Amino acid sequence: MAALAAGEPGVTAEATKVVVVEDDPASADVLRRRLQANGMHVDVAGDGVGGLRLVQEVRPDLVLLDVMLPDTDGYDVCLRIKSDPETADIPVIFLSARGEVVDKVRGLSCGAADYVTKPFQAAELLARIDAVLGQARNPRAPRLARPLERSASGRLVARLAIADQALREHVVALVAPRFDLATDPRADIVLVGERDEMPDDTPEGVPSLRITARTPRADEAHVVTADGHLARIAELVAREQRLDHDLQAAAEALIVLASAIASHDRPSPGHSERVASRAVQMARVLGLDESTRMTIRLGALLKDVGNARLPAGLLTKHGELTSDERAQLERHPVLGEEVLAGFHRLHGLLPIVRHHHERLDGTGYPDHLKAEQIPLEVRIVTVADRFEALLVDRADRSGVSEAEAVRILQAAVGRGELDAAVVAALATQVRSGGAT
Amino acid sequence: MPKSAKRAAEVVTRQIDAERRHEHRFLVNEGVARLVMRTTANNLPLARDDRPYQWSTTTYCDTPAWAVYRAGKSGAAMQLRLREYHRTRPRDVFGSGTLWIEFKDDDEETSLKERFGVTNALARSFLRGEHVLPEDERRLGERAQELLANGARPVVVTQYNRLAYSSLDSSLRVTADHNLMYMALPWTSSDTGEATALGPMLGMEPRVVIEMKWYGELPHWASDLHEYLKRESVGERPSKFMIAVGLLLGETDGQAT
Repeated sequence: MAALAAGEPGVTAEATKVVVVEDDPASADVLRRRLQANGMHVDVAGDGVGGLRLVQEVRPDLVLLDVMLPDTDGYDVCLRIKSDPETADIPVIFLSARGEVVDKVRGLSCGAADYVTKPFQAAELLARIDAVLGQARNPRAPRLARPLERSASGRLVARLAIADQALREHVVALVAPRFDLATDPRADIVLVGERDEMPDDTPEGVPSLRITARTPRADEAHVVTADGHLARIAELVAREQRLDHDLQAAAEALIVLASAIASHDRPSPGHSERVASRAVQMARVLGLDESTRMTIRLGALLKDVGNARLPAGLLTKHGELTSDERAQLERHPVLGEEVLAGFHRLHGLLPIVRHHHERLDGTGYPDHLKAEQIPLEVRIVTVADRFEALLVDRADRSGVSEAEAVRILQAAVGRGELDAAVVAALATQVRSGGAT
Repeated sequence: MPKSAKRAAEVVTRQIDAERRHEHRFLVNEGVARLVMRTTANNLPLARDDRPYQWSTTTYCDTPAWAVYRAGKSGAAMQLRLREYHRTRPRDVFGSGTLWIEFKDDDEETSLKERFGVTNALARSFLRGEHVLPEDERRLGERAQELLANGARPVVVTQYNRLAYSSLDSSLRVTADHNLMYMALPWTSSDTGEATALGPMLGMEPRVVIEMKWYGELPHWASDLHEYLKRESVGERPSKFMIAVGLLLGETDGQAT
């Protein structure tokens, strides 16, 4: 059933977004109007499939879910919401005429935050919604991306969050020779009083130091005394962070070069980018965190950088390779690792570069690793690489459809070559049309 | 690690089937399931060890060559699995203080099960082949060790809500499994000590799985119930493990949605 868009008098952009899944139009309408009257944005679906679609599209703050639906039951819908890493944190409240204890136990055990029996009083429902939203709300506000702007003078910028007036003035005097001082989030470092809160609007990745007037104890590694060394310590911390950014930029430049090399060697330009994008989406399906996804992306982009050290013409040779040539080709993961080994900050992705041709059954190269000796990040890139390769035409075969490519990789799982869960993540991602 | 270096595990609890028992599974719709469980509740008490609608999370192991699955296709196989119980559905495995290591030897009509309640750390150690469990003449543990030596590791997970009734002497047990879900497991390592997050959902079973397990002869009411289930079931059903791996390998289609 199509979702009913809400007419929303007085609803602001920050309004709480609620998806109601209710098959009785009259009940849904009453609920919608009641919630809108309390400043909420409401979308309504009349069945489970429509409800799940709405949850994916709207990413609401809350789902109100009827148990008895025409196409499935509310337990099923709740479990699907809670099984998707992207929607698992959205709280669900069941609304049901089934009021037996076993029904409530079953609903709550499916991951619902509350279970309200029909008929209900609107005031009680609203109170329960408030309670559930209060528990679900993340106390940390969303953080902004780190701004690239620097101070006009080119000097580092420090932000002070020190309530104690005397300590604040002392710290200003200490750091002013080396830092510009700012009150907004665009700073290279935040100096926070020992008992003060870190400002909520501090962007992710901005370093901070805790400042005290006393001598810190041995176990207080992050607490610094406000003395003559403070400015130097703060500058070192801020410059280390800036160096991280510069190294990130260097890595990006390396990726551009690796892509340029690959575009000469491969009949399908952009392969590395497609593999990286696919691998990141699969990692998201597997619930891996952002840091790991970044490692996977960089690793996928740089995995073939060792090709640059192979003899000219080997990668573009037509016809069958000799055994010597094959042995040379199979050295490219090791050569790639050698190329990148000097970049200390890229060490996390070296396993991807070295092992992306390993197979679970030990028949891969260069180290013939088996099963879980191969890190999960590597297994993901390996599957993404093989999948993307199957989609394009080659001299010896035509490209296949995404569905057929998944079937081919599932057969490789059956032979013990690839990781089953990773291929399952790929299948999920392909089924969802890439909307992960 | 050489076999001689393996240590005997300290087992918290051990439960063993006295002999092979009959085991029949039926896939039925919700209405039939409610009727069946109401009838069962009139004749059997709730199982003492199973909280109503608690979540059972079962992690199944297989080798890279899928030895258990392939054997299951030929009609008989021994499953190596680890089970956890929770009040609400967890999103990971191996996060519990106590895990049950289970060996289950299935043929077409009967099954034999042995299980050991062990600490989380010991379960991981067992999977690494560092511990052996107490053995008897049925030697299920020895077969499990062979599987582990051939590379068996956790590959797939099922989760469901179980409602269980059991006679006091355990001669008859009837269970209803709701909300059955099949999940892949991106296994990383058994060494970290951290719970492993569940992978993508492979499928969900919208219907209810009823299982009857019994020794010897069925009582009259249970025999009638068994006949009723045979009439009303959607069909004979392979084990959850077989369905799950079939979905994982793209060999099962349409049995679960």
